[in-house]
Amino acid sequence: MEKKLSKKTLNKSFKNWYYGHLTCFSQEHMQTFGYLCSMLPIIEELYETKEQQMDALKTYTAFFNTEPQVGSLVVGITAGLEEAKASGVEDIDGETINGLRAGLMGPLAGIGDSLVVGTLIPILLGVAMGLSTGGSPLGAIFYIVVWNVLMTFGMRFLYYKGYELGGKAVDFLVGEQATAIRESIVMLGTIVIGAVAASWINVKTSFSMTAAGAEKPFLVLQDTLDSVFPNILSAGTVVLCWYLLSKKKISPIVVMLILVVIAFVGVLTGFFNTGLAY
Amino acid sequence: MEISWIQAALLGFFACLSSMPGMGGTVLGNYTLGRPLVGGLVCGIILGDVQTGILVGAAMQVLYIALVTPGGTVSADVRAVSYIGIPLTMIAVKSMGIDAGSAEGLALATSFGSMVGTLGTVLFYGTSTINLAWQHIGWQAVEKGDFKKLYVVDMVLPWISHLICSFIPTLIMCKMGAPMVELIKTYLPMDGLAMQTLFTVGSLLPAVGVAILLKQVVTKALDFVPFFFGFALSAGMGLNLIGAAIVGGMFAIVNYKIQMVQVEAKKHAVTASVEDEEEDI
Repeated sequence: MEKKLSKKTLNKSFKNWYYGHLTCFSQEHMQTFGYLCSMLPIIEELYETKEQQMDALKTYTAFFNTEPQVGSLVVGITAGLEEAKASGVEDIDGETINGLRAGLMGPLAGIGDSLVVGTLIPILLGVAMGLSTGGSPLGAIFYIVVWNVLMTFGMRFLYYKGYELGGKAVDFLVGEQATAIRESIVMLGTIVIGAVAASWINVKTSFSMTAAGAEKPFLVLQDTLDSVFPNILSAGTVVLCWYLLSKKKISPIVVMLILVVIAFVGVLTGFFNTGLAY
Repeated sequence: MEISWIQAALLGFFACLSSMPGMGGTVLGNYTLGRPLVGGLVCGIILGDVQTGILVGAAMQVLYIALVTPGGTVSADVRAVSYIGIPLTMIAVKSMGIDAGSAEGLALATSFGSMVGTLGTVLFYGTSTINLAWQHIGWQAVEKGDFKKLYVVDMVLPWISHLICSFIPTLIMCKMGAPMVELIKTYLPMDGLAMQTLFTVGSLLPAVGVAILLKQVVTKALDFVPFFFGFALSAGMGLNLIGAAIVGGMFAIVNYKIQMVQVEAKKHAVTASVEDEEEDI
C-alpha cells in the first residue's frame, strides 16, 4: 500500500523543527522533544489507529542532539523513511531509522558546528561589525536580515533534500565537491577573523625608558613594536590564548583568569596603563 | 541614566527569547537576538540610545564571535551578555563619562560582558534543569498517547523556566544596576589598581574569543597563515572588514577551483583506467 505525505504535513513538520528543536532543552534529552514534535504531524497522517501511531512515535523517543541547522537534513531523511515504512517497504523498521539517526547526528554536528557556528556566523558578524562602526545600526540590521533569510531557506532546502533523497542525501554534505566548498568557506572565515582580530583587539603597552635627565624617553616600546608589525601585541595575545586552549587543553574560563593575572602584574609593573581618571 | 520597570521588563522578555535554549528558537532567538551586536540594537532601542547600544554590543561581540556550544556545554550565556551586560555597560559608560567608541569603552564593555556572561551560565543550567520537569510530563503524554500535550511541553511550558531563569534575573539586575555602578564609581577610582586591571583585562579578553574560533581551524603552524593574512590585510594594509572579506572571498574561490580541478582529474584517471582494463579483455 503506497502512502504519500501531503505537502501541508511536511511543511508543518519542518516548521515544528525550525522553531521548536531546542525550546525544551535539558541536559538529559537535548533535542528529543523538538524531534518528537516535528515527527508528530507525519506519524498522525501516515498511521490510522492510535496504537500504530504510539508505536511509530516510540522510534523517536531515543536521545537526539546535533547542530540543528544542518540537522534539518536528518529530520527530512527520517520523514522519507517513515513514509517508506508506512508504505510497507521491506528492510525499513524503527530500528533502521534509529540506527541512521544515531549514526548521522555526530558527523552532522561536527560539520554544522564548524561551518555554520564556527564560520558562517563569524563571517556575517565580522562584516556586520564593519558596517556598524561608529554605532550605526546598519550592521546589526544587515546581520538580522541576511542570517535569517539564509537559514530559513537553507534549512528548508536541507529538509526537503533529505526527504527526497533519503540516505543518499548524506553525500550531498560529505561528497568531494561539498568538501571543497566547505574548505574554501573555512579559509574565507579564517581570513575574516584575522581582520576582525586586527581591528577589534587593542593590546597596547605604556612601557618606556627615559635616560636620567633626558626630557624624552629613548625607548617607547609600543612605537618600536609598531615598526616591527602593527598591532603585534594583539596578535601575540591571540596566539598565546590559542596555545593555552588547544595545546595545553585549558578551559576558556581558566584562560580568562590567566589573563586577569597577566593584566594585574602588567599594571603593577607599569607595562599596562590605560591612563584613565575620573 | 535610569532604567524604568517597563524597560527592564522588556529587556527581560528579550532575554527569554534569546537564550540557549530560548523561546525564540535558535535561528531568530539564540543566533539573532542573542548575538551581542543585535542585542546592542535592541537594548539601544529600549533604552533610547541606539548609538551607545551598538557600540557596546559590537565590543562584546568580538569576545563571543565564536560561541559554539558543542554537546550543549556553554562557557557563557548570551541572554546574560546581551540583556544584562549591555544595559549595565551602557549605564556605566554614561555615568563614568567614557566615550563608548573609544578603546576604554571597548575594554569596559568586554570585561563587563565576560563577567556577566560567565556568571550567566548558572541561568543556562537552571533553565535546562527546570525543563526536566516538563520533559517528565512529556514522557507521560507519550505513554498515554496524549499527542497534543507534546506541543505544550515543547513550546509552552518552557516559558515558565524562562520566567524564573531569564525574566526575573534580568529585571532585577537591570533595575539594581544603576545604583551598583554608582557604588563602584565611589569606591573604586579609575586610576586605582582594581579598575586599571579591569580595563586591561578588557583589552586582552577579545583575544580569547578569537582563539576559541582558531582552535577549531588551526591544528598546525601552517594553518595560521590565512589568519595572519587577514590580520595583515587589516593592520598592515588598512583594509576595513568588508574589504578584507572581499579579498578573502577571492582567495576562497581560487582555492575552490583548484580543489575541483583535482577532483575532476581524479575522476578522469579512474574512468581512464577502467577503459584500459576493458580494452585488455
